[in-house]
Amino acid sequence: MAARRRLKRVAASQSGFLSFKSPSDTTASVGSRRKRVNKNKKKNWNKYSDVNDVDEFLEDIRHQERTTGGLLSEKTDDSLFFLDLGQPEKPQPQAETPQADEGKKRRGKASRPLRIDLILQPDSLVPPPKDILAYQQPNAKKLRRIAQKAEQLAAKGVVPRKQKRLLNRRPVDKTVKKAVTEANNNPDRDYYDIWGQEPKVSADPWYLQQTGKKLVKRPEKLNEKPSVLPAVEVIAPGGSYNPDFFSHQALLQEAHQVEVQKKKQEDKLERQLAINKEDKATEETNLREQVEGLVEEEEENNVEESAPSKEDEEAALAAIAVTQKKTEKQIKKEKAEKLKEQQRLTSRRQTEQQQQLFQLRSIKASIRQQEEKTKSKQMQRRAKQEAQKAQPRRLGKLKFQAPDLDVQLSDELAGSLRQLKPEGSILKDRFKSFQKRNLIEPRERAKFKRKLKVKYVEKRAFKEIT
Amino acid sequence: MGGIQKKKYERGSATNYITRNRARKKLMLSLPDFRRLCILKGIYPHEPKHKKKVNKGSTAPRTFYLLKDIRFLLHEPIVSKFREYKIFVRKLRRAYGKTEWSAVERLKENKPAYKLDHIVKERYPTFIDALRDIDDALCMCFLFSTFARTGKCHVQTIQLCRRLTVEWMNYVIASRALRKVFLSIKGIYYQAEVMGQLITWLVPYQFSHDHPTDVDYRVMATFTELYTTLLGFVNFRLYQSLNLVYPPKKLSALSSSLARVVSSSEEEEAKLDQFPDEEEQKQLETQKKIFEGLKFFINREVPRESLAFVIRCFGGQVSWDKSVCIGSTYDVTDETITHQIVDRPNVDKQYMNRYYIQPQWVYDCVNTKMRLPVEDYFLGVTLPPHLSPFVEEKEGDYVPPEKLKIMALQRGEKPDEEEDEEEEEEEEEDENEEEEDDEEEAEEKNLKKMEEQRSQGKSLQVKVTPGKVKAENRARLEQEEKAEEKRLAIMMMKKKEKYLYDKIMFGKKRQVREANKLAAKRKAHDDAEKAKKKKARK
Repeated sequence: MAARRRLKRVAASQSGFLSFKSPSDTTASVGSRRKRVNKNKKKNWNKYSDVNDVDEFLEDIRHQERTTGGLLSEKTDDSLFFLDLGQPEKPQPQAETPQADEGKKRRGKASRPLRIDLILQPDSLVPPPKDILAYQQPNAKKLRRIAQKAEQLAAKGVVPRKQKRLLNRRPVDKTVKKAVTEANNNPDRDYYDIWGQEPKVSADPWYLQQTGKKLVKRPEKLNEKPSVLPAVEVIAPGGSYNPDFFSHQALLQEAHQVEVQKKKQEDKLERQLAINKEDKATEETNLREQVEGLVEEEEENNVEESAPSKEDEEAALAAIAVTQKKTEKQIKKEKAEKLKEQQRLTSRRQTEQQQQLFQLRSIKASIRQQEEKTKSKQMQRRAKQEAQKAQPRRLGKLKFQAPDLDVQLSDELAGSLRQLKPEGSILKDRFKSFQKRNLIEPRERAKFKRKLKVKYVEKRAFKEIT
Repeated sequence: MGGIQKKKYERGSATNYITRNRARKKLMLSLPDFRRLCILKGIYPHEPKHKKKVNKGSTAPRTFYLLKDIRFLLHEPIVSKFREYKIFVRKLRRAYGKTEWSAVERLKENKPAYKLDHIVKERYPTFIDALRDIDDALCMCFLFSTFARTGKCHVQTIQLCRRLTVEWMNYVIASRALRKVFLSIKGIYYQAEVMGQLITWLVPYQFSHDHPTDVDYRVMATFTELYTTLLGFVNFRLYQSLNLVYPPKKLSALSSSLARVVSSSEEEEAKLDQFPDEEEQKQLETQKKIFEGLKFFINREVPRESLAFVIRCFGGQVSWDKSVCIGSTYDVTDETITHQIVDRPNVDKQYMNRYYIQPQWVYDCVNTKMRLPVEDYFLGVTLPPHLSPFVEEKEGDYVPPEKLKIMALQRGEKPDEEEDEEEEEEEEEDENEEEEDDEEEAEEKNLKKMEEQRSQGKSLQVKVTPGKVKAENRARLEQEEKAEEKRLAIMMMKKKEKYLYDKIMFGKKRQVREANKLAAKRKAHDDAEKAKKKKARK
């Protein structure tokens, strides 16, 4: 009940608000009875004072300031009103304006900002208040005083302690990264006389050996070169950029020989693989092969086969029976024959030995011939060994492939140094030279090996079509 | 059969060799690391004589190393460096994976690195050993210095190679050591004589470069690593021998001389004076100064470095256009230039007191050790062929006529006149020959007439003219006597001996016959050319 009364009161106090009871009723019943309120109490200031008019006035002023940037009454006439004198004449032709408008429109469309951005911009003409906190420094005065004192001292020449220590500090050496300077291929690395200096063997050799600091001596065999070939083999005179006719021809001839050899090898292979046309299987021969032995000539064959086998068995039996009878005689005969042979041989040997005396000259000659043969063979073998030394050894899985001869055909020869097109790559040449001299084993580029097999699957769409 | 049985493959060659994989496992290295180690230390695989024994009965192709070599490798300190590097890579990868960038920085700063100085000292105990092997090193360094600076191999290696090659070239210039140059289709071959050793190396042309795919770059880079170290030390020692300061400064252009670096130049001259006056020394000295006093200018289209190097090696002064490279000392407009090297068919502006020649003149002069006549090398003229100085012709071999001309020049005979005049001479000679032939025919006709007359019994109308005294050369007489004696000796040989002698002479004359054949071919070729020219003229 009290709350309802309070509500009514509040409603009634606000202007323009119709109370629940009709005005005729309220005035008649309540009429002159108005509750007496103490307006001096803070509690009642909010409830009973009517500040609407003041509020309105202030709102109006604020609205004016927000929208126009100041009170309208304080504005000049010119800023608010203008004299309408009608449209001025346009001297420009009409044809241009639509184009200009179109251009402007397009540009305007591109350059006009978005409405959502515009809405979010602050549109009040009242400037935002200054942020005092930004300018506030609690000890500004103190700092100012200190700075002034420092200036005075500096003018006099007195340097504060901290600065003095800073100036006295040693300058820092900017160290380049240790890894870069120590690396072997640092372009600014310095060299020293490696062959002139005495080794720094200051400590006891026993100590060095025990602690593992002594350098082990290199075995003598490692100092031999693995090949007798020179490091750089100069190309034949036909390889000059402007060669003499005959030397060029000689070089071309060599290259030609290499090609001929290759062709020969290929032809040889082809010949070995070639088969006669007539030996090729046709359908007829296939059929005959399959049908062999199945045709009805079997009975005749059986009869023929049985007859010869019987005869063989009889003959074998007969042979065995005969040998058994004569073996003892045979043995005696054989023995006598053996003895005779041996005697003959011994007598022969004796006569030979006696005769050899007279054959000395021919024996000497034959010995000399054999010696010469062995000598010549030895020389050949030695020459072969020497030639082998110049050949590249077989080290590893791949054989050494001799590099292609660098040769330019007659129409590729350039007349001048400017037009010369270099042939061959020196990198490859050096690589092959290392292989030839047995410094590295022949190598080829590693092939890409798949560890897992690739599976080809048709897409579903294609499966339906095919 | 008492005692323990001998088992196969436990003694002898089978135990001296070890396969590559076994060796690698013994050293506990990965295969690329093992290869690198072998290249650096100079340990090469061997092919055993009896492969079957070493391979324990099988003939599968395997790579074998000597067991003692591998045992020697075990003591090498850089093996531990390789292992450290492997661990470094593992840690770095882990840090990258966990995106710990501070750790990455720290690891990179402390990257393990190794130096190859002790290996160079071990493999080449004396300086002369190192000089013997410097051919390979020079080739590799020159090759790497021409690589493009992409990331394919370390840019620092390329820079280091460039620096070392420039230092070497400057040494050769200062010591005037260059002897032969040959321009081939592959590259330029140089030969220099340093401390009694003949050193040959090959430099690629600047403008070629296709990187072949079947070359192992890692292997080549390892070789280069070792060779750069070696070349650096050799350079130091060579500079020391000339009393020059190492490392020299401001050298990249090859135009500045090294003399400004030290007081050495005076010492050098003093040394030269002390040489004993032998003829050979004098000859060598003159040969070293072919281009002394000449001023050259190199045009833009000519390979500058090679020419500058060669010219300066023989005492000449050289310069080029400023836009090509730094270090040009004088400009095109300099009046004192004596020779300008051009490779185009024609030049816009021609100065009066200088020769315009093609670059081959310089190289041919170097090879023949004298200043050749410039006329054959003018612009637009077909050059004479560039002969190889590395070929030594034996007796009886075919010698190209150009070389004969040059040898004649070297002996000091009068040089031939120009081509046109030559041709005229040849034409005259031909005419003379024809006239002579006619005369001979006339003589023959006369003789025939005389014979006919004789047969017909007529007396010849021969006049007895007083005989002319032939000037007898004593030398000729001696030669004839010797020939006579030889012929007698041959007649008195026994049949067997004569047979052998004939065989030997046949073999000897074979070469001469071949040379004659080739000369005839050449003559035919020249005649054909002449005929063509005549036709073109008409």
